[in-house]
Amino acid sequence: MNRSIFSTVCAVVLTAAAVFASSFTVADNKVVSDFKLKNVDGKLVSLKDFPDAKGFIIVFTCNHCPFAKLYPPRLNALNDQYKKLGVPVIAISSSDTVLYDEDSYPKMVEKAREEHFNFPYLYDNQQTAVRNFGAQKTPHAFVVWKENGKWVVKYNGAIDDNGADPSKVSHRYVADAVDALLAGKEVAARKTRSIGCQINLRK
Amino acid sequence: MKLKHLIAIVLFSVAGYNSFAQYNNLVIPDTISGTTFNLNLKDTFKQFLPGNQTVTGGINSDFWGPTLLFNKGDTVHMNVHSYMNDSTTVHWHGMHLPAVMDGGPHQIIPPGTVWQPYWLVTNQAATYWYHPHLHQMAEQQMTTGLGGFIIVRDAEEAALALPRTYGVDDIPLALTSRNFDATNAFLCCTRAYGDTGMVNGTLHPQVTLPKQYVRLRILNAEMERGYNLGFSDNRSFYIIANDGGLLNAPVSATRIKLLVGERAEIMVDLGGDAVGSSIDLVAYNAGQEFGFGGGEPSATGNFGSLLNNRNFNVLHINVGATTAGAITSVPATLASNTYLTTADATVSRTVTVTDGTPGPGGLPFQFDHTLYNFDTINKTVVLGTTEKWTVINNNVFGHAFHIHDVEFKIVSRSSHPVGAYEGGWKDVFYLQVNDTVTFVAKFNDYADPIHPFMYHCHFAPHEDGGMMQQFVVVDATGVGNTEKPSGDFNLYPNPAGNKLNISLTDPAMQVYYITITNSQGRTMCMLPRPQLGNGIDISAYAPGVYFLQLTDEKTKQSMIKKFVKE
Repeated sequence: MNRSIFSTVCAVVLTAAAVFASSFTVADNKVVSDFKLKNVDGKLVSLKDFPDAKGFIIVFTCNHCPFAKLYPPRLNALNDQYKKLGVPVIAISSSDTVLYDEDSYPKMVEKAREEHFNFPYLYDNQQTAVRNFGAQKTPHAFVVWKENGKWVVKYNGAIDDNGADPSKVSHRYVADAVDALLAGKEVAARKTRSIGCQINLRK
Repeated sequence: MKLKHLIAIVLFSVAGYNSFAQYNNLVIPDTISGTTFNLNLKDTFKQFLPGNQTVTGGINSDFWGPTLLFNKGDTVHMNVHSYMNDSTTVHWHGMHLPAVMDGGPHQIIPPGTVWQPYWLVTNQAATYWYHPHLHQMAEQQMTTGLGGFIIVRDAEEAALALPRTYGVDDIPLALTSRNFDATNAFLCCTRAYGDTGMVNGTLHPQVTLPKQYVRLRILNAEMERGYNLGFSDNRSFYIIANDGGLLNAPVSATRIKLLVGERAEIMVDLGGDAVGSSIDLVAYNAGQEFGFGGGEPSATGNFGSLLNNRNFNVLHINVGATTAGAITSVPATLASNTYLTTADATVSRTVTVTDGTPGPGGLPFQFDHTLYNFDTINKTVVLGTTEKWTVINNNVFGHAFHIHDVEFKIVSRSSHPVGAYEGGWKDVFYLQVNDTVTFVAKFNDYADPIHPFMYHCHFAPHEDGGMMQQFVVVDATGVGNTEKPSGDFNLYPNPAGNKLNISLTDPAMQVYYITITNSQGRTMCMLPRPQLGNGIDISAYAPGVYFLQLTDEKTKQSMIKKFVKE
């Protein structure tokens, strides 16, 4: 009797574990590699430069995109809120600067100064980071978390669900993901669709 | 008794709320008039649906563009400034102008560039439009919302008692539809037909129009759907203009079919309607002949949509108070057009719709088994010739045939006699399945052996797929006259401040094209046949080295000179 209950419990736990594991694989536990990119202050920045970070909010954005232009205050607010908790914001522009003059490095420096960016704004001129992460649009956010010394993507998609009107945001996807991870919980929405301008990859 | 009242009040307020929530006020595009027109093309966004905004393309706006008011006889100068992420072109649909100003697939505007075409407006008063025409990108760029109306006015039209107070009794209506994805982004371009209709970028639009005759300038701005338009009470209306001008006399109708790119101006009498009553402009699209875009019965899939093969409301019209100076009748005669006839034509051509085989490995629709090729001139027309073109479609689907440069007269149609509704000047016509349409056109004024004009199906997926060909108009007396060597030119001052001047060594030399690029190869401006009297404004350029490429009008040879901006 006892043994049979025990074995039933075991079976349930195993099934649950199996379901959990399979849902994890489905949810794309992608590991991303570190990068070394030039910041608007001229210095090179890598993830390993933040030894105390538990994770990062990495946002692919750019200067020219009308949707990206809506988010600088919200990126500053995210960094204000989460940097001190060990999850800083890093913004990366991977825009094709041949195609779009407004995204050139000197204009990025101007933009960071004008918008008072309180986070690094990195120039991915070889488009290596964007390929590594698989970012599609500007802005496109990733929440990565340190697990066993590796950087695992825990959230991939939009920053929130209303670009133009912050007062009408009903889901703060990035903030919700970071809150869950800080609380040791799983992220509810692991993936949403990023909205904005296509990041054009050079061949 | 009290309960009944309460129910009545509740019902009334529910109905009131519904009608409030159901309709959005029709956007009337702003106008620009005068002779200089600044158009700024940009990537932007608009709130179409609750939740996130939709990324759009706008021209001086967040969707669609301003209505350009031209006067016949004016020379209009366009400053087309593209702030977009992509290259594009802007085509002046229906305008008779030099090919180098036409904005077809060859006049590509790179991002960050200003393109400055100009031309003498010789078109008759009617409703025209402008839209992107970059090959294989037309559907995508038009889907974002890029485009706008052109209204030409002339003395003949001005002398008539017609409604012409823009936005009051003279209303432009650009009909189209879109598909939205889960993030409210426009879906493009796998499905030919949108699930959600819109007019001037307004979903579920309503407009209040005065209790009198009103004039609707209707454009089918779709990708592929046709509209069979009428009013919800089947009242008669008058068709007063086709694509390229007023008809000689108004044509009474209860329905009008408009395929993609076609325009019609209609007058409808609201004088007998009560103020506060309403009526709908309806697309009676159920049960159309096969080959009518959007007649396919499916609700889903690449050629299905929720609006297919059914009647749907296009615009809810509320009748408001009569205005001062109201138009209360339709003039018996409108214009005295002298139309071309078959007897005028000295050259006959035939264009046959071919291919369009469905399924994997199938070929896209094309003309005469020849897909569009950027570098191939398919037809050469001698300047001043009147030609008869016969377009044959014994193929599997309908099309909207459009030709640049000219307004033509349809002289015969095999599917049915040429209707009075299409009896005026046209630049697009509906080519049905098993239809042969013949039109006559005169190719006047503008010869250019380099820059071609287009003729194509205006269904954006067909055009992008290669159902488009090119023709040049050549001056028979000047063909091959390239013996004369190009003259030379100098730039001054160099280094330059705000103005750059050009001096031509040979005073007889004419400039065909000037392009200025910066040291990174980025195009700063494109100036077809520039008027150089006042120099070129370079005040907005960053200091640095620039290259000016000048192409000689006669020899079409290009020379490059360097200058420095201080």
